[in-house]
Amino acid sequence: MDPNELDKIIDLLDRDVELREKIKDQVTLLDKKTRTTIGILNRIHSTPSEAMPALIESVQPTLLSYREVISTLVEIIPENQFWRWKDMWTNSIRTAVFAAVLIEYLSNRTLLSLAQTAEILGIEEKWGDRLALPVEDYLQGLITVVNELSRLAVNAVTMGNFEEPIKISLFVKDLFTGFSMLNLKNDLLRRRFDSLKYDIKKIEEVVYDVSLRKLAPAPGSSGIPKVHS
Amino acid sequence: MSTFTLDPHHVSIDIFDNFRADLDDYNDRRERLIKASRDITNLSKKTIFLLHRIAQGSHDPNEDSHVLAKKAAQEGYAKLREIQTLYSHLRPELGGDKFWRYQRQVSPGLQEYIEALSFAHYLDHGTLITFDEVQHTLMDAQGVFFPLTISDYVLGLSDLTGELMRFAISGIARRGGRKKAQDVCTFVRGCKADFERMTPYIRELKKKQSVTSQSLEKIEDAAYTIMVRTSEYDLSPEMLDDIVTQSISSYIGTGRQPSRRGRGDRMSDDEDEDI
Repeated sequence: MDPNELDKIIDLLDRDVELREKIKDQVTLLDKKTRTTIGILNRIHSTPSEAMPALIESVQPTLLSYREVISTLVEIIPENQFWRWKDMWTNSIRTAVFAAVLIEYLSNRTLLSLAQTAEILGIEEKWGDRLALPVEDYLQGLITVVNELSRLAVNAVTMGNFEEPIKISLFVKDLFTGFSMLNLKNDLLRRRFDSLKYDIKKIEEVVYDVSLRKLAPAPGSSGIPKVHS
Repeated sequence: MSTFTLDPHHVSIDIFDNFRADLDDYNDRRERLIKASRDITNLSKKTIFLLHRIAQGSHDPNEDSHVLAKKAAQEGYAKLREIQTLYSHLRPELGGDKFWRYQRQVSPGLQEYIEALSFAHYLDHGTLITFDEVQHTLMDAQGVFFPLTISDYVLGLSDLTGELMRFAISGIARRGGRKKAQDVCTFVRGCKADFERMTPYIRELKKKQSVTSQSLEKIEDAAYTIMVRTSEYDLSPEMLDDIVTQSISSYIGTGRQPSRRGRGDRMSDDEDEDI
């Protein structure tokens, strides 16, 4: 190889290494922040329902602190290269999605949409080719929420909150219906979707126990889901 | 007892329709690109066979290997243009940020293409094709239709060494074949040294470097054998070529049967190398 050509190539490779280092620094920062959030969210399993709003209140600021890192990160990514570097922060972003969606559910019992999630994380639409929130990462985050809620259904009952499993059951079933509408390939998303049925089974069993023993309050007209035997 | 009312649908299912469209688009495009990449791999392999076939020439040992190499390169270029056309059709599939999203799907075909292209280039010029020259074959008046990455460029070239080894060894019995083997040996040694500097940057390169080492060793062994045998005769390389040529042509004169068998042997050797 011509020495100049060789130097040119090594130089280009060096620049990619530099870029990678810079991205890594930001991802490390983001991970630190998501870990703080997750640390607080762990406490939902031991927090009685009346103390839940205060807990949610305390976790909100950590959720909004991601924005700062994400806006630095986007400055580093060259035009059109979102997908080239994305793998480096995929896990962090999925954790962030999980946190945002779970907090929204615990506050308002509703599903945070993809656009709303992106907004909370401070991901701007105009960044498209440099940084975005892809559907797959959002969906992966949702599945983690379901995993977490199946635990919460159990732990809520332990703490004497018998309504929680029923609310969770309704929410999770809706999500499951949504996921069933997707044409999933034999990939990671598919495997995680397949695992949802175990979460649903776990939640159903809790609902079954609570309903049969009449621990839950009298159902509204359509509140109580059918119990699978 | 407290009662709670729940809206039976806290989740708008409609949004999943959009997700489905998004995932379907991704999966369909991915499939199309994998297929295109496979087609390109196929065509590239055919081009490489074509280059070997023409560069080796017919049974006439008097054919000038230099002329044959040039001829092979020209025909190779024509075949490679078919691949370039396939790539130009991929432009809409890979625009904007899409290229990097599907880079892993198109990379295998691209490396195979670079292997074929760089082989033709070597036969034509005796040099390594540059990054810019490769990129140049993947653009037209409207600009680049397929962006070249450094890693694909280097990995494609790394495969070239295997082809050159085959080229050198299968041509070694021809007029000028020994000189050619020496040239290839020097060239491959240079490539290996250059690529060594890049191994820390490109993950897959390390494995390919060890294959290159094996190829290099085979050529070196062949060159060694030639050196030892030549030294037993106090004659110039040209005169040695003449002696070999004479005995081969007298052999061909006695009938075609044996020569055909000879060719078959050579091809089976090639296949062994392919593993």
